[in-house]
Amino acid sequence: MVSAEDARDVDLSVRIGGLRLRYPTMMGSGCYGSGEEFARFADLARIGAIVLKSVTRLPRLGNPMPRIVHTPSGMLNAIGLQNPGIDWYLEHEIGKLAERPCAIIGSVAGFSVGEYVEVTQRLAERPEIDAIELNVSCPNVASEGETFACDSRATSEVVSAARAATRKPLIVKLSPNVTDITVIAREAESAGADALAVINTVRGMAIDVERARPRLGNVAGGLSGPAIRPIAVLAVYEAARAVRIPIIGQGGIASLSDALEFFLAGASAIGIGTANFTDPRVPERIVDGLAEHLAGQGARSISEIVGRANVGFADVHQYEGDAG
Amino acid sequence: MPARVHDTRVIAREERAPGVMMVTIQAPALSAAVFPGQFVMAELPSGCAAAVALAIYDAYDDIVSLLFFITGPRTRELAALAAGDSLALLGPLGNGFDLRDAPADVAIAAGGVGIASVLLPARELVRRRSRVRLFYGARSAALLVERERFVQAGCEVTLATEDGSEGLRGYVTDALEASAPAKLLLACGPTPMLRAVAQIATRTRVPAQLCLEETFGCGVGGCWGCVVPVAATSPRAPRFPSNEAGISYARICREGPVFMAEELRW
Repeated sequence: MVSAEDARDVDLSVRIGGLRLRYPTMMGSGCYGSGEEFARFADLARIGAIVLKSVTRLPRLGNPMPRIVHTPSGMLNAIGLQNPGIDWYLEHEIGKLAERPCAIIGSVAGFSVGEYVEVTQRLAERPEIDAIELNVSCPNVASEGETFACDSRATSEVVSAARAATRKPLIVKLSPNVTDITVIAREAESAGADALAVINTVRGMAIDVERARPRLGNVAGGLSGPAIRPIAVLAVYEAARAVRIPIIGQGGIASLSDALEFFLAGASAIGIGTANFTDPRVPERIVDGLAEHLAGQGARSISEIVGRANVGFADVHQYEGDAG
Repeated sequence: MPARVHDTRVIAREERAPGVMMVTIQAPALSAAVFPGQFVMAELPSGCAAAVALAIYDAYDDIVSLLFFITGPRTRELAALAAGDSLALLGPLGNGFDLRDAPADVAIAAGGVGIASVLLPARELVRRRSRVRLFYGARSAALLVERERFVQAGCEVTLATEDGSEGLRGYVTDALEASAPAKLLLACGPTPMLRAVAQIATRTRVPAQLCLEETFGCGVGGCWGCVVPVAATSPRAPRFPSNEAGISYARICREGPVFMAEELRW
């Protein structure tokens, strides 16, 4: 039997560059607003960080409706980076963040290296912002959106430039919609990323068969929720073997067991997004569950289980008889 | 009282018409906090998909009832709840109808499952001595559930069905248009119906409050998945730069679900 005291003694903190998070849970960008929207229902003092909704240089109205389609064990979204632009954001929104009892990570999106640099620099110089996440993998904006995270040279270029623009911890959010995530992960690491967020949503589409039309206003969207969890677990497993920087594993985490999969695959922290739409108490339950689980295993800190499931990749045995 | 998660228990579940469910819940704190036109996010027992936005149909004593159509796997899962089951509800959410004026003559238009959002405002208006005329339409007579409840609540009820199986043959907006204009119009139903109601409101110069239906992501304003174009000058427009046309996107779950017809730019 695990006592509450044992569970309290477990160290769940995690370090992302120079930033220490009390809990290894980060609320996924675009899923948690600025925190204010959920603060009514969830105890923000019991989460590690909020990753803010992505900001671009200019205001964006976002995609036409419908923007959300529910799918089996998941959800497609195509919001299209609706945001007020960095000028307005700094003037009207950012001050409200000072009172949040958890870390605040700004998310930067853009369409050129110059835009990423400008927004990163202006956001990062604010004291309310503890770290920057580069959203180089939004699947929901026309053509250029995902280009950065799908091209190793572009990833390298944008990460290097953003790295030069701030000393605050820099997280790069990777796309699963690539041939080999380890290539992009290594590029981001050598360009100066402090951590990788793995993964953004998986591109997808749903069709209304009666109207014979795409269901999303944007036609294509990003799939999230439990449906993408196995894709995310593998991406984390592969990326963790390829780089030394911490990985924030995310994609369909809704329970303690889901969270453990990601830590065991090699994530140092986890992102929780769509599960907040199921129940805003999920992040707290996961934190409580982790402490109890680790205490039950006799572990003193979350770091003890990170990557524990790493057994490499199974050799493919060929029977001699099959060779011909 | 602010919205929060309520761990509730299902008292009764009834199929009121094919595919139309009424789930009655014991939820004292929620019942006491509800304003007419608000909604809840109902957590699926399986927990493997986002919660479902449901209108709060009725709230009295320690009881809340939810009336909804089965439209897919998520609502089917909720429809399978049985008496005694637990159900987590996040709410009450949204702004609700503005009934502060309670004019002498109010018309309410409800289409299909839209009926689920208008019982509470109807009852409140009757209590405040407004004459309340309900115009209620559905595809066929069997889907005109709960009409007797509105009669009991003191409303004058006019029915319309698309197949002519009861009341006027046609849309609920046809019935509304054929009647004398009221001083205030409330409406809830599918978007094409609400657009038609907005046109009638403009033509007859009657202020109209429309309760919008949309697929929600989070239901609390965090994901921007349920927006509607509004005039940037509208009090409900988010504090946000608008585009050149003076349009801004408001969140239906947060700034709505009730909007004044004249502020919408859809």
